[in-house]
Amino acid sequence: MLLILDIMTTAAILFVVAIGLLAIFGVLKIINFAHGAWLTIGAYCAVVTAQLGFNPWLALPLAFLVGGALGGLAELFIIRPLYRRPLDAILATWGLGIVIGQLITLGFGRDVQFTPNLLSGTVTVLGTDYSAYRLVALAAALVIGVAFAATMEGTRLGLSARAVIMNETLARGLGIDTARVRLITFMIGAGLAALAGVLLTPLTSVDPTMGVGWLIGAFMLVMVANGSLLALAIACLLFGAAQVLISTFVSPILGSIAIAILAALVLRVSPKGFARA
Amino acid sequence: MTEAARRLEPGMGGELELRDVVSGYGAISVVKGVSLHVGPGEIVALLGKNGMGKTTTLKTILGMIGLRGGAISVDSVSVVGLAPSKLAALGVGYAPQEQPLFQDMSIRDNLRLAIASDRQLPAALESVFGYFPFLKDRLAQHAGTLSGGEQKMLILARALMLRPRLLLIDEITEGLQPSVIDKIASVLLNERKKSGVTILLVEQNLDFALKVADRWAVLKLGQIDDEGPAEPNERERVLRHLSV
Repeated sequence: MLLILDIMTTAAILFVVAIGLLAIFGVLKIINFAHGAWLTIGAYCAVVTAQLGFNPWLALPLAFLVGGALGGLAELFIIRPLYRRPLDAILATWGLGIVIGQLITLGFGRDVQFTPNLLSGTVTVLGTDYSAYRLVALAAALVIGVAFAATMEGTRLGLSARAVIMNETLARGLGIDTARVRLITFMIGAGLAALAGVLLTPLTSVDPTMGVGWLIGAFMLVMVANGSLLALAIACLLFGAAQVLISTFVSPILGSIAIAILAALVLRVSPKGFARA
Repeated sequence: MTEAARRLEPGMGGELELRDVVSGYGAISVVKGVSLHVGPGEIVALLGKNGMGKTTTLKTILGMIGLRGGAISVDSVSVVGLAPSKLAALGVGYAPQEQPLFQDMSIRDNLRLAIASDRQLPAALESVFGYFPFLKDRLAQHAGTLSGGEQKMLILARALMLRPRLLLIDEITEGLQPSVIDKIASVLLNERKKSGVTILLVEQNLDFALKVADRWAVLKLGQIDDEGPAEPNERERVLRHLSV
């Protein structure tokens, strides 16, 4: 039972970390290599919330708003001129990530920051004591996934975003403001990344480079998902399971590189990854 | 009266004016000084062989291709530099020829994309169900599963959902059987009668063009080569321009 719970919660955490990157890649067709920096921004929102003495759960909406607003500025002034130059966009977002990391270092120093637990203790699941917080992370992933799917399928914004994903030229010809769709999508993706940063704080140390390690895994998962939310969920479950099983029964070091190796293998066999598999 | 209110008012303008329009791709100018007037409520067919600049002209009007010279106005207001989204808000509808539908979306979602708000959806749907009743029972069906003729009718239905004052239609009859072409002709003429919509029709089907349009113009190598009234006795004159 413990192993099953570990697999499910690990998959949930991977999903939460990667969904913002997927949103941006799906609509904008660029990989936001500053995604790790937005995770870090979110985590530091939790630090600031704690320093100000506020309820630590307030960090979640704060991070979403701060991440979304900064994402909007980045899209307007850095990303927008580079849509037709995807390689330059990769370099620009990578550079932006470095700049954000340095700015956070300037403001908070290089030291590891401590944040209060969002939820401590354990709960018993079918006779197994398990971390309450990891179960909350599982619930958060479900809520975020369902909300994202509902937005895409049930709102005008989602309809416009799907149109842009499928055929941007036609979408533009029909009068859809594709620039606005891209801006809002980037803001949502950046906001979700910052939200994920807060959710990571009880599970990882908070420092200016904390996002880099998560970025690689998220990037691999999004490549395998190829823009599909369902494929991302499947990838997180399968790769998360592999990571947990290898870490538990073989070696934690091998487990930490399991996602990268498996993603490379999947893409070698199926260039579209799990999408429409 | 607001722009939105004007857009919804039947018979309100839609006059299109192109003056010495130049546009193209990269270093090549495809449209080389086109001047064309389409009066309010008028239907004009823009004819010509392949590669003469017909679709490029439409895309230039829509702002999808940059204007290199000349002027374009709708109801005497310059639309140069306006994004396609702004043009749609002003009531300019478009039925494209290339990749015209979102194949993996439902018919309902394809139609929803034509209007700005879902609050307008019931009334807008009812207005096109009158022309194309088959759509009513198949709203959940994916657009890509429709037959060729049904897809063309969906394209036209989507353009009419906007209740446009100016409608730009690109080779809607291509590959269609005569009965579907007759149906489309009937819909366009009825809509013009009902709402006073102005239509610029890019076509290769001469019979359809002469049946629907009030006037024709032939585009040759990016310029208007000839034009005249769309009357049966004009057929031979137009054919001379279109023959290889």
